[in-house]
Amino acid sequence: MSTQDAKERLELLQGTLDLLILRTLLFGPQHGQGIARAIQQTSEQELLVEHGALYPALQRLESRGWISARWGTSTNNRKARFYALTKAGRTQMVKETTKWNRLAAAIARVLEPGLKEG
Amino acid sequence: MFRRRRNSIDFRAEIDASIQLEADRLREEGLAVDEALAAARRAFGNRTLAQERFTESGSRWPAHLARDMRYGLRVLARSPGFTTAAVLTLALGIGANTAIFSAVYAALLRPLPFRDVDRIVFVMKKNPPRGWSQNPISPTEILGWRDESGVFEDLAAYTQTSCVLTGAGEPEEDPCEIASGNLFQVLGAAPFLGRAFSADEDKSEGPRAAILSYGLWHRRFGADTNVVGRAMEINGAGYSIAGVMPAGFSHQYGTPYGAIPEMWLSGIGLSPEGAGNDYFGIGRLKPGISLEQAASRMDAVSVRMEQTLPDLKGWRAQMMTLRAMISGDTRPALMVLAAAVIFVLLIACANIANLLLARSAGRAGEFAVRTALGASRGRIVRQLLAESLVISLAGGALGVLLAFWGCQGLAALAPPVWLRSAPGLASGAADPRVLAFALVTALLTTLFFGLAPALQSARLPTVEALQETGRNSLQGPRSRRFRNALAVSEIALAMVLLVGAGLMVRTLGQLSRLNLGVDPAHVLTLRVPLSGDRYKEPQVSVEFWDRVVAAVKALPGVESASVSRGAALGDWWAGQFFVTSDQPNPPAGHVPDANYVIAGPDYFSTMRIPLRRGRSFNQHDTQSGERVAIVNEELVRLHWPGQDPLGKRLRIGPPTSPWLTVVGVAGNVMSQGPEGGIHAEVYTPYQQFPWLLGGPHHLLLRTSAMIAPESLTHAVMQEIHRIDKGQPITEVATLEHIAQEPLAGQRMVMALLLSFAGLALVLAALGIYSVLSYSMAQRTREIGVRVALGAQPESVLRLVVGGGVRLVAAGMAAGTLAALILTRLMAELLYGVRATDPLTFGVVAMVLTATSLLACYIPARRALHIDLMTALRHE
Repeated sequence: MSTQDAKERLELLQGTLDLLILRTLLFGPQHGQGIARAIQQTSEQELLVEHGALYPALQRLESRGWISARWGTSTNNRKARFYALTKAGRTQMVKETTKWNRLAAAIARVLEPGLKEG
Repeated sequence: MFRRRRNSIDFRAEIDASIQLEADRLREEGLAVDEALAAARRAFGNRTLAQERFTESGSRWPAHLARDMRYGLRVLARSPGFTTAAVLTLALGIGANTAIFSAVYAALLRPLPFRDVDRIVFVMKKNPPRGWSQNPISPTEILGWRDESGVFEDLAAYTQTSCVLTGAGEPEEDPCEIASGNLFQVLGAAPFLGRAFSADEDKSEGPRAAILSYGLWHRRFGADTNVVGRAMEINGAGYSIAGVMPAGFSHQYGTPYGAIPEMWLSGIGLSPEGAGNDYFGIGRLKPGISLEQAASRMDAVSVRMEQTLPDLKGWRAQMMTLRAMISGDTRPALMVLAAAVIFVLLIACANIANLLLARSAGRAGEFAVRTALGASRGRIVRQLLAESLVISLAGGALGVLLAFWGCQGLAALAPPVWLRSAPGLASGAADPRVLAFALVTALLTTLFFGLAPALQSARLPTVEALQETGRNSLQGPRSRRFRNALAVSEIALAMVLLVGAGLMVRTLGQLSRLNLGVDPAHVLTLRVPLSGDRYKEPQVSVEFWDRVVAAVKALPGVESASVSRGAALGDWWAGQFFVTSDQPNPPAGHVPDANYVIAGPDYFSTMRIPLRRGRSFNQHDTQSGERVAIVNEELVRLHWPGQDPLGKRLRIGPPTSPWLTVVGVAGNVMSQGPEGGIHAEVYTPYQQFPWLLGGPHHLLLRTSAMIAPESLTHAVMQEIHRIDKGQPITEVATLEHIAQEPLAGQRMVMALLLSFAGLALVLAALGIYSVLSYSMAQRTREIGVRVALGAQPESVLRLVVGGGVRLVAAGMAAGTLAALILTRLMAELLYGVRATDPLTFGVVAMVLTATSLLACYIPARRALHIDLMTALRHE
């Protein structure tokens, strides 16, 4: 992400970062850098994750008890803070995903006809 | 869920680690080590922002608050003048309010420890046609009202007397009551040891029993639990101890004027024929019967009774709830003080608001800078509120200290009558509930007044505020109007307090200027109750007093000495019916009455009561001489107007009493204290008996002007004990002290109102000063320009002072109006001055104007001395 030009990428909608973090952590514990990279890779480089927002977001999720954190060692032997999904976080993710899907579908329904006519 | 908060060092470490990870990755992609690190840093973006967001989001309120308050403390420490003023103002407001409202609670609101206390009523009688009220009642009336009105569950009676304890231990005299056995039951209380009086003991010739107060039981009987059934000697007769009342009981009922009883005696012997008006009733109304219903049914009984008993003509029951009775005179005084102290708090709040507003206005620049640096508005509001909180906590803590001192001061200052009716007051303890309330009030007021400036500063557009460096930012018309309104209301409130204090000063002035009819300076009085079988013989009693007076007169420094029953100015009113020889059979209900005083030969010279006509008593007025009396001018005015009173005859008490010949006319004396007014009085010589109401028992002596009368106390007591060492001596006091005592309540109100008003004056002056000097600071440049353009000092002065004078005028107009309405509520406390006294209002207006002008003058002088260059460069 960082080394490429970020301007063409989509900015994340407010509040969606939390959901994406939770979703990413579903596959196992990960550190911040790894989470950011994972989101960018899975979104095929479409989504920009700003570090200035990422770490406070992780902090927020942690203080709500949806993720837990501990210091560990990364694959290349660096110290990093690893985050894991908690049980409450899992429930929260399912809830948020359902909400998001409904929202996306609704928006799509509104936007679809216009596209057809255009 | 209170996990330990993650600290920001840990967060920083995480960011470092994150950048390291990214750099590693970039190196794998082929970048050089330092290039990779720089790129990773660049990619991370604004680190400080992330850090700031972390601090904002993750931290919890308490941690935040603590940090804000620490910062607030530092900020406040930088402006010690403002901080001291705000904290002190708040502390005084809280302290004064807590002290006064603790007293209000103790005297007026405290729950009384009796079951269904609202049904307990105090029963006396009144005679509206003759203007008499709160008189004691007779057994006839007690029994009639109890049995025929049907409004009482039960009605108890008691009479106040004094008990001389002899036998084991030192002789002592204590106030006590002869009470009917149902007294305790009516009140819903019971002895905690032993029992109440039985029906048999209630009879006048029944077995004699005594119930002890907790205090006496402790003091004289060493809290011995086996005391019940023991014999003791009271007033020379044998009694057996029936029980002991729990602690504090005796304080809880009865008139505040009566003494607090140390024991209760049986043998009240109420009989339908009993005519002595010696009793008070305490009754428990049946459920659902109001005071008015009870009064009207008892009046019906009274109407029936006066048909057959002409002595009762015109008398009706007078009832008060126990609470009203106990509060007594304290209510109006405490109400006035409570209102005054609320005013003080209001002024204090207005002042703090003003200080905070002025301060935050001066800091607009600071806030603008902080906003520009990324502080959210919420942060700034929170910061300002934290500062307010620091002030209110500091003020609150100091206020608690002041409250404790205030309560103790109040207890020390309060007249004995108040303490008697409110034992909570006497303890000098601040009421915890009141204290909590005052603290919460302080917290809320400061936060509320802190909120206004906080929100105002937060609302400012940053750029504008930065450009103006905060100069005009809070000088908008709305804010100025608010600040002016605060100053105006401070002046108005101060005016009301000053008028109240002024009226009390005038009242005390009037009362102390009153001619009491006696000269109380340098007179010592004491009481020897003369108990014991020996003194049942009047002649023995007279001889005792003859010897005491002779012995005391021989003491160095004593100018004259005499004896009396009923010392003038003391609480010894003894109204007696009498008839004159001109009208020996007045119609029932119109029998005249007079205060009855038994006096020794030198009574009038010792008291310095002038003799208008005739002679004083002398050595020939003995048992063998003609029965004589001296009357006062008031009695002559009422009964023998325009006639020569000398040689007239009158008879006091029952028709069997002897006729007395008037041999002298004495000047009027305010026997019941300054507010009691003047009444008819009859003096009879103590060597001539039978006496009514027992013999003389007060010794009075006038010392030479060189000597403090109380310094002779010990010598006088020695002389008395040389004559009879078994006699207790009580009520040692100077006449001066006795004369001052009735004024103690008003003096206390005056002292407190004066200090409140002084405080209000200072705070209001401070308010004007802060408004003016603030607006001065705002207009430094404007004034500089004016001076540069040739404005004269007078016009500059007018500019600054003019603003102040308008505020003061508005405040005084509002204050005068409010005072005219509010001082009416204190009419009960005033004497010889009307609530709308123009002199008081005038003086107060002058004081307020002078103080305000002084407050205006200081900023105005500063305006005159503005350095032109500094002023113009002010921006």
